[in-house]
Amino acid sequence: MWVYAGELAELAQRKKKQVTVGGRAVALFLVDGTVYALADACVHKGRSLSRGTLWRGAVICPGHQWAFDPATGRAEDQQVCQPTYEVEVRGGKVFVESNERIPSETP
Amino acid sequence: MIDNIAVVGAGQVAAVAARTLRRRGFEGRIDIFGDEPHWPYQRPPLSKEYLTDDDESGLFLLTESWCARNDVHLRLATSVTAVRPGRVELSDGWEIAASRVLIATGGAPRRLPGAAGARIHYLRTLDDARRLRPALRCGARILVIGGGFLGSEVAAAARSRGAEVVLVEALAAPLAPVVGSELGAVCADLHRSEGVEVHLGEPVESVEETADGVVVTTSRRRLEGDAVVVGIGMVPNTAIGQRSGLAVDNGIEVDEYCRTSMPDVFAAGDVANHFHPAYGRRVRVEHFDNASKQAVVAVDNMLGRATVYDEPHWSWSDQYDHTLHHTGEAGDWDEVVVRGSASDRDFVAFFLRDGVLRAAFGIDRGSEITAARALIGRAVPAHILKDEDVDLMEQV
Repeated sequence: MWVYAGELAELAQRKKKQVTVGGRAVALFLVDGTVYALADACVHKGRSLSRGTLWRGAVICPGHQWAFDPATGRAEDQQVCQPTYEVEVRGGKVFVESNERIPSETP
Repeated sequence: MIDNIAVVGAGQVAAVAARTLRRRGFEGRIDIFGDEPHWPYQRPPLSKEYLTDDDESGLFLLTESWCARNDVHLRLATSVTAVRPGRVELSDGWEIAASRVLIATGGAPRRLPGAAGARIHYLRTLDDARRLRPALRCGARILVIGGGFLGSEVAAAARSRGAEVVLVEALAAPLAPVVGSELGAVCADLHRSEGVEVHLGEPVESVEETADGVVVTTSRRRLEGDAVVVGIGMVPNTAIGQRSGLAVDNGIEVDEYCRTSMPDVFAAGDVANHFHPAYGRRVRVEHFDNASKQAVVAVDNMLGRATVYDEPHWSWSDQYDHTLHHTGEAGDWDEVVVRGSASDRDFVAFFLRDGVLRAAFGIDRGSEITAARALIGRAVPAHILKDEDVDLMEQV
């Protein structure tokens, strides 16, 4: 189900924010005008992705610098994927679909 | 026309190279030669979670089914003696055709003269880690020689298993040549705060195995323990380069395209002494990210996509509940700007020369390290670097 997660304006400056969706921590990122949502705890070692950085269009985990595609959750040259969430922005409000998407894992 | 590609060495470089070759659409055969009997595995966990958790899942880099589907042939427990134009020579006398060869033979632990025995450990391979793990038991007294990343991680793993740890470092502070003695002292204090007995500035004079333990003699004292771990660096495995007539000097020499002195033969990872355009000279780097990135660059150049490896190097170390990061190469820095608090072990230090960012080192400051990777080579004002309220990515 769709859950209100915050205001688009809150992402304007830092381009990232940790929110809670359905009791789970979710990291929102604003990349070139599009909002993406990923599970906040990194699939590698559980570090908080919202404390990470956007660089060259990828979400860089602050733990071990894994680089995730914010749209798919795929990590550059890793075999596991970060769960992602569908996002809708309506009238400056960010909504997140609370069921996470886990892409198939490919080596 | 490239019919087949051989990778000599079956570690991180080989796994990334095989995956990248297929991702790039290369359709020929791929052979990977490894002298260990194991399928390609990750080395970073061997000094970290592998020692603390009895879990080998997630260690292996390529699966049998993926290799079968992708026409990737692993030849394990196999030694390559030399590379010749168009082929590689194996120690059993066989020769394998190869249109391109990637040498990624890594390195071997640097050994202390005369230090060998069942209770004297070096750590590089999965077999080394399997031998070491049971020694790090609760109540054991573990002597660690070397306060670099490896020795520090082993010390942390041993503490988390409930062992007593004594860490001996020849330098006045761990990592001093890379980060300076003040920040090196911060790293030493991290160990002390976790209950490690730390001795700095004490070169080891001898290591002996006794009937029921080990004895390490330093310039100042005699230390007894149940086991000793020697982590004093590695030496690159260059024998294949020498036998093949490649240019070898502190590793196999390659240019910024990962090309050796022999046409169609490339080298990457710990063994590759690579020309780095940002430094204007060769450098050999013994870290995971360097191996991964060079594997991609070597593959691209093998396939005729001219690609230069010129990114700043970066590395990490997990110790206790902390992650240390380093990026770039400070060289002869003239200014250090600290953001955060070094004494609280929550900081990132930026190393500059003539106002230009050269390197950064921090504890639990991964996002600033990402920014530093993007900013190295640029002039960044000290007040910006220092200001916790400034998002450094905005400077990129």
